[in-house]
Amino acid sequence: MLEKILRSINKLPAFPATVQRVAELLRNEDYSVNEIVAVIKFDQAITANILKISNSAYFGVRQKIKTIHDAVVYLGQQHLIRAIQTASISKFFTKKGYGDKASELWEHSVAVALMSQILSRQLHQKENPVLYTAALLHDVGKLVLGEYVQDASKKIFELVNHHGYSFLEAEEEIVGINHADLGGRIAEYWNFPAEIRDAIALHHRPNFVDLEENVIPSLVFLADQFCLTMGIDGGMDGLAHRGFSEVTKKFQLRESDVEKNMLLLLDQLKQANELLRIVDK
Amino acid sequence: MADIVVGISDLKCSRQLNDVIITYALGSCIAVVIYDPVAQVGGMLHFMLPDSTLDKTKAAASPGMFADTGVPLLFKSCYQLGAEKKRMIVKIAGGASVLNDADYFRIGQKNITAMRKLFWKNNVLINAEDTGKNCNRTVKLQLSDGKCFVRSSGGAVVEL
Repeated sequence: MLEKILRSINKLPAFPATVQRVAELLRNEDYSVNEIVAVIKFDQAITANILKISNSAYFGVRQKIKTIHDAVVYLGQQHLIRAIQTASISKFFTKKGYGDKASELWEHSVAVALMSQILSRQLHQKENPVLYTAALLHDVGKLVLGEYVQDASKKIFELVNHHGYSFLEAEEEIVGINHADLGGRIAEYWNFPAEIRDAIALHHRPNFVDLEENVIPSLVFLADQFCLTMGIDGGMDGLAHRGFSEVTKKFQLRESDVEKNMLLLLDQLKQANELLRIVDK
Repeated sequence: MADIVVGISDLKCSRQLNDVIITYALGSCIAVVIYDPVAQVGGMLHFMLPDSTLDKTKAAASPGMFADTGVPLLFKSCYQLGAEKKRMIVKIAGGASVLNDADYFRIGQKNITAMRKLFWKNNVLINAEDTGKNCNRTVKLQLSDGKCFVRSSGGAVVEL
């Protein structure tokens, strides 16, 4: 079964190059708006979604954005990249993963991405685009593994409910690989940088990462735990994942911080409604 | 049959016999379901956190967010539809946690404790509960007969 699962990675469509091309163009201080518009417009599949997302209250733009040109002018560098990234990634969320429909896993992914930025602002006083991408993609392995896990769910729950396994450990035992590892391989296939690949692969095992060296996997893990706790979990695995209190301790998060962040996320999810709605199956 | 959906931090009551009140995706949150079989009035609250002192402004704007502000409002709203405290059947579900979270994400456990205390202080018996563990739950209340159903992630639908 494992070989078949790994082979199905290569059947995934390539990741759209638009994001990287736009990021490269934006790196040049005096970038030309028209040049960027031309690159985005070329990717028709995501253009409509970029426009929908750009008008989300989350980005705080007052003008109504009607064209890609408006989006490039008004969104600003960071938000533009984020909008393109979100739109590109959303295109892959056509399968139901571990849930009943594709929109559940997408909602979870967006929630984890938003929470990752709440944490980054709190702990490091700034947003982190690499963290955002890693968080949005952290469960990408479930898109491929979903059908296998749904088929084997009885055996998996037997281990989870009666033998002390976490859902992740049961996935390994029954289907031969867990969704985090598989997600890491997908990120590699899509040529994402190593830090994003590792954050995806280790988002349930932050204890495998040196926190001083690489903070991203731990923040994706934390953001994920927040969303699982809030019930925004996107699938049948529910809350059956391990917590690691040493991570929260290292970040010196107090219980009241945890609760306040949940309220913050609720507010942001309301503002980011357009981001949630671009996946509707 | 009309489905009335209770969102996170929200509460809904009804005395329409063909209504079904439902809430999705209870993680550490808790659904409090109450029903008066004589008046055939029922209600559901989906609260998120135990204590409104965390954010008084938010608690004023949406009392359903916290146990201590949401539960009293749920009862009052049902009284307004003709329910009486002494006849009320109370069921609760939710309050899940991630695995071995000894220290931090124990909001599920805190929610369960806060709610039990609240009912204890007010002399209200909890008739049935499905709380704790590490599953996500969906809860449904049928106004026609007061039956309450819980579906856990990865599990079947069970009557509470």
